[in-house]
Amino acid sequence: MKKLLRTLAAAGTIVLAFAGSAAADHTVKVGVIAPFSGPFAIWGKQFKNAVEVYVAQNGKKAGTHTVEFIYKDSGGPNPSGTKSLAQELIVRDKVDYLGGFVFTPNALSVAPLIQKAKVPTVIFNAATSIIVKKSDYFVRPSFSLWQVTVPMAEWAWKQGIKTAVIAVTDYGPGNDAEVAFRTTFEKLGGKVLDAIRMPLSTTDFGPFMQRIKDKNPNAVFVFLPAGPPSFAFVKSYNENGMKAQGIQFLGTGEMDETTLDALGDAALGLTTAYHYSGAHDSDKNRAFLKTLEEISPGAAANLASVGAYDGAHVLYQMIKAVGSDRTKAVAAVKGMAWESPRGPVSLDPDTRHIIQNVYIRRVAKDENGKLINQEFDIIRKAVPDLGLPN
Amino acid sequence: MDTAIRQNRPRHGLLTFRRLYLDLALIGAGIAAFFLFPDSLGFLTRVLIMIIMVLSLDLVLGYAGIATLGHAALFGSGAYAAGLFAVNFSADPLLGLAVGAVAGAVIAFVSGLILLRAQSLTLLMLSIAVAQILQEIASKERAITGGSDGLLGISMEPIFGIYAFDFVGQTGYWYALTVLTAVFVLLKIIVASPFGLAARGIHESAERMRAIGTPVYWRLVAIYTLAGGVAGIGGALSAQVTELVSLDALGFSLSAEALIMLILGGLGRLYGAIFGTVIFMTIHHLAASVDPFNWLFVIGALVLIVVYFLPEGFIGLPARARKLMRWSP
Repeated sequence: MKKLLRTLAAAGTIVLAFAGSAAADHTVKVGVIAPFSGPFAIWGKQFKNAVEVYVAQNGKKAGTHTVEFIYKDSGGPNPSGTKSLAQELIVRDKVDYLGGFVFTPNALSVAPLIQKAKVPTVIFNAATSIIVKKSDYFVRPSFSLWQVTVPMAEWAWKQGIKTAVIAVTDYGPGNDAEVAFRTTFEKLGGKVLDAIRMPLSTTDFGPFMQRIKDKNPNAVFVFLPAGPPSFAFVKSYNENGMKAQGIQFLGTGEMDETTLDALGDAALGLTTAYHYSGAHDSDKNRAFLKTLEEISPGAAANLASVGAYDGAHVLYQMIKAVGSDRTKAVAAVKGMAWESPRGPVSLDPDTRHIIQNVYIRRVAKDENGKLINQEFDIIRKAVPDLGLPN
Repeated sequence: MDTAIRQNRPRHGLLTFRRLYLDLALIGAGIAAFFLFPDSLGFLTRVLIMIIMVLSLDLVLGYAGIATLGHAALFGSGAYAAGLFAVNFSADPLLGLAVGAVAGAVIAFVSGLILLRAQSLTLLMLSIAVAQILQEIASKERAITGGSDGLLGISMEPIFGIYAFDFVGQTGYWYALTVLTAVFVLLKIIVASPFGLAARGIHESAERMRAIGTPVYWRLVAIYTLAGGVAGIGGALSAQVTELVSLDALGFSLSAEALIMLILGGLGRLYGAIFGTVIFMTIHHLAASVDPFNWLFVIGALVLIVVYFLPEGFIGLPARARKLMRWSP
């Protein structure tokens, strides 16, 4: 198709116009690469649900083009597999756009490919700042770790928190979170009393709790993967009487909506900073949740859902604007602003990363007794990706 | 295993190349695949690379009987070495391949010195430990390896300065096929040599080999080092074609998958490694594209069926079929 269009373009403007009208109502394919099997399958499920919600609300057509999503399973972090899936989607399935991507290496592996093939790629999650720099065709309406961690540190300082202990899981994102929090907090004048890197596989946090208690900080900043480590940490945090001692819990994504219920009352009152809460108070979010409930009863909306929903929105806007003429697609959405279930957002024209509000939330119960992340403060509006050195 | 030895018994001289027709057919199939599936070259290239990895595992496990679940350590070392070499020194693919081979061999030699003093379960555990330690190092040394983000910035020069890597994967495919062919021919010669025979002898009975004067330990170290070099070549290819190395190259699941492919195909024959890998990855690929959400069931069923009905792996299929024919009245 691309080759055909190029030939036609060379033939002259009349022919090109003709080709344009011929292409006007053809199907535009989007390849979505995400984990649909194995331990990370929940991500793929959340992505797919959210994309289906978007399609249910907006129809199968973007402008005059019918949009077709093709899903591919990447499993876990697997760059070589992901790259060959992307290759195949572009070469065989003739997709014009790519979407998805949970893990940073997987997203990075397609960068040279989409740069050469000129395929706009919308990242639904992969949150390492550097990704968007690796190709001009990346657009990221998800978030970055710096984007949510810096506001957390700023808010803590504003609350009169002067000393903190950092406790992060010892892997890439955890180390990023540590650097982001420390840099911001120390620049403001705060003091980091201790930084603890905890093994990824541990669920026994007793010894770390004792170390934190001994330092007696105003707060403990935590970064943990959602799931068992977060349960165990929160349980340990309560059992060791940290809350009673006045050591405030500060986090980012630990209180994920898909695992929040399992945490139970132990989580009540914990403070986190994040770009999306399933309980965000807006009509847009309520409509999103309603359709989600119809499509997949009982499903919770979390960061993956909103990333994919906004990803679908960005894809639709690109397709609406340029159809299959994908070289112009990224330019068409740069600087675009829209109302997302997470609140007002826009795309940074320089970095192609999302600019959004970061909310300070605390875990509370809604009227049905269900645990939610209740947003109660916005420390800074319209936050860009703060992790990119300019 | 007796039949395996009898069937594959090496003779002298040119007879190394018995089954030449099969070898030529395989190479022909590799060339034909390029023209038959021009849209799936990325996937096909991954198959070729995986075959190199499984061939290396076959050398260790199938021929020498070294039970390992840490073969990714050697593959990953090759991948990281080739990747780092490309980023920091020279982006010449062939030099990178050599660096990958050396890295794989060195890691195999050093770890082999310790590993091969142990046997069976202890050996298995130690082999896993080596891979885990290397993965942990790669994860910690973020400044060098990129940690969990993966090693970035690999951009290969054209092969011989002529054939540039393209996004459809044509160059990558020919490159991988050529390297695989070279590796295969080399391994064929080696397993038929007295050295290869000794490895098999050790597998059958280390005691007897010791009694006839074979330095069992050093033979095993040598064959493990050789396999390390081969796995390192596979890793280097993967790094060059993907242009990214991440921690999964040293991961347990890679070791385990390679083992499953080898068992599916049949241990102790180079052809088994090839057929096992091709069949496993093709079914995986087809099942995952038909149903990206539930394809794992198909793979599980496949493994069960093969283990129950074809204990020698797919390579045992013709013999089984012959037997059945003979039995039927």
